[in-house]
Amino acid sequence: MTTLTKNDIHIVSTAAEHFTRLYYTTYDSSTRADDLPNFYRDSSAVTWNGTPFQGKAGVRELLSKMPPTKHEVQSFDCHPVPGAQPPSLMVSVSGNVTHGKGPAGNPAATPAKSVDGQPRVFHQTFMLVPDPATVPGEPQKYYVNGDILRFVG
Amino acid sequence: MLSSEGPSGNRTLASKALRKAGLIDEDARMRDVSDRPGGRKGHPKSLIHKTRTSHRPRAIDAVMGKDQPGSSNRSPMISARFSAGSSGQGIAIRGASKATAAGRLRRNAISVNGDNSTRGPKIIELWREFVNSRWNPETRFLNLERMVEDDFIAKNRMTPPGAPGSSAKEAGVIFKIAGQLKPEIQTLSLANNAISNGAVLSMLSHYLPRLANLSLEGNSLTVWKDLDYIAGRRGKLEHLRELILKGNPIRELEYQNNRVEKFKSEIARRFPSLEILDQEAIVKIAFDTPLASTSAAGQKPRGATSFPAEMMPSFVTGVDGNLISNFLMRFFPLYDNQRSALIDAYHPQATFSFSANTTIPARARIEGYHTSKDMPNQKKLEWAPWLTGGNGGSRNLSRMGGSADKMEKSLHVGGEEAVKAMANLPSTRHDVAGSPEKFCVDAWPVSHGDGTALFMAIHGQFTELPAEGIRSFDRSFILAPAPEGSRAKLSGWDVMILSDQLNVRAYSSHTAWQPGPMRVQAGMPLSSVNPTPSTILLNPAALAQLQQALASIPEPQRSLVQQVCQQTGLNVQYAIQCLEGNGWDLGRAIANFDQVKATLAQDAFL
Repeated sequence: MTTLTKNDIHIVSTAAEHFTRLYYTTYDSSTRADDLPNFYRDSSAVTWNGTPFQGKAGVRELLSKMPPTKHEVQSFDCHPVPGAQPPSLMVSVSGNVTHGKGPAGNPAATPAKSVDGQPRVFHQTFMLVPDPATVPGEPQKYYVNGDILRFVG
Repeated sequence: MLSSEGPSGNRTLASKALRKAGLIDEDARMRDVSDRPGGRKGHPKSLIHKTRTSHRPRAIDAVMGKDQPGSSNRSPMISARFSAGSSGQGIAIRGASKATAAGRLRRNAISVNGDNSTRGPKIIELWREFVNSRWNPETRFLNLERMVEDDFIAKNRMTPPGAPGSSAKEAGVIFKIAGQLKPEIQTLSLANNAISNGAVLSMLSHYLPRLANLSLEGNSLTVWKDLDYIAGRRGKLEHLRELILKGNPIRELEYQNNRVEKFKSEIARRFPSLEILDQEAIVKIAFDTPLASTSAAGQKPRGATSFPAEMMPSFVTGVDGNLISNFLMRFFPLYDNQRSALIDAYHPQATFSFSANTTIPARARIEGYHTSKDMPNQKKLEWAPWLTGGNGGSRNLSRMGGSADKMEKSLHVGGEEAVKAMANLPSTRHDVAGSPEKFCVDAWPVSHGDGTALFMAIHGQFTELPAEGIRSFDRSFILAPAPEGSRAKLSGWDVMILSDQLNVRAYSSHTAWQPGPMRVQAGMPLSSVNPTPSTILLNPAALAQLQQALASIPEPQRSLVQQVCQQTGLNVQYAIQCLEGNGWDLGRAIANFDQVKATLAQDAFL
């Protein structure tokens, strides 16, 4: 593989920024069950807290049963992974996610010290791979080939 | 690798996308700037004198390049306009100093402004007629440039958005009419309308939520607040791909003050789906955005009150679990005690970085972990060694402000650079063997390039020295089978690291991934019973390849397999078949291969 140039690093870092913004905006939107699967292909594999889901249909199924979400990305990173051309990208994201209405959705009798409804810490790792269907002359298209999510706090 | 396109390539890319979007014409750059855009010789007049139906776009006109002013005048759009020769026009429109046609129009507009409310349905019909006259259904492009100069507007004494005395109301009417156009509008130009207050745009995203391309060129938008009326969050223009802001003070001031990168990153932050800004691609890597979907706009989120599945234990599939545990049980003790020895585990071009998420986790704070008497050392922990240490500092890309220097310095390429960076991070103790419940691993094979790699994420905790406080971490790996003869293989690693990202966080308890049902919030049901697990469908060939490559083939067969692979390009699986069929005789195997190689399928090869 050719050596990484500063420009390459800038490109993949910008791509990761674009991806994370787009991905979580879509995830938190009202049309997520229709829209989020577009980031995946039928060969994509996903685990959500240890439960596997396969392909676009799997992502759709997962989201159709998901309470409303609000993600806050606090940290993310991205590498071009050596060994493929154009490179695969590994993106890891750390942040918090509120489900449902958050603490405001708890019944009035809920003790103030309860963690119920509070944001959880999540961590998600994506493997993004180039889409061979990219139209020449347009930006190289990528899709999510692998996706591991865990609640970690 | 990714940067083969030079700057000219980028321009080509941008203009190609623009042409596709109908924002510039094929010959936009050829046009002489003195050719006054929207040169209004006659045709708006003819509009007025013609019958109503003649205002409607005819498909044939679009094909012949003779369609309504809205489209034929888009040719001088958009790049040509803000060049030196044309900048005066924008000023002439804004300033009221000259007794231009526009100036007269404006006074007329003011004088009739008060009548608008009483003109009621009629004015709405006039606006509809105007919008139709500027609409090109072929390109799905509504061109509302220089509305104040339009003779139809003048004749009917209408007050277009941006004109003195206009309010967000006229704009709202126009956007509502635009929202009813068929086929659905894709591109809107509001260029050169002297719009100085973003409030004019406040109804834009309401009526045109799926707009893909928008030009606001040559207006007078000045502050970020103006853009917040349309910024792609909270249900605003979430599908915007291309935006033009040239000629607005909000952009030009940033350019004059050398804050171009900051400007671009502010825009990108506000419009997550944006790919092209001012005719320049701001991304080189794109994703299938929600635009492509058929989702019904305005659909309400499903109000699920439970999670789709319970928290499940570590998920490892498609690979021998021992392989993972062997790797981890060797990796972490070395990381704790002898980081330099890890150099062997990394591919010569491997990438390593670490990042710090310094946010205090809400649940851990409520549990009091950071102030608990049971964990007195938590207060001694400091972020500084993580933020600035490790030969380049934390690679949290959300905190880099687009600094290419920092992005580069904080990415460590190759085993040597990786271990050097690690050596410069705080010492740690990972109790992988003693408290396995404090760690969680998900791993499975993924295709990578022509082969297969192992995709893995580990979550856990470590004790940071010398503070003896506890931190949580996440570590993501891409691993590949260590090839025979590689440094990794010779050092006893079955797999080698291609990519390694470490994320360090304030401590949260491992009970976060304790298997069992989870609750969305108090009073709601626990997560539903798990669905029948839809096992991940692994590419069988890739899986076989990986497993074959990792299977321990005893010597001396192993070196024979290796030689066949090297001489024939066959993969391990086929190399073994070939040798087996030829009594494990290398010469016969190679000769046999030469006879049949033309008939072998592609998947026989590495």
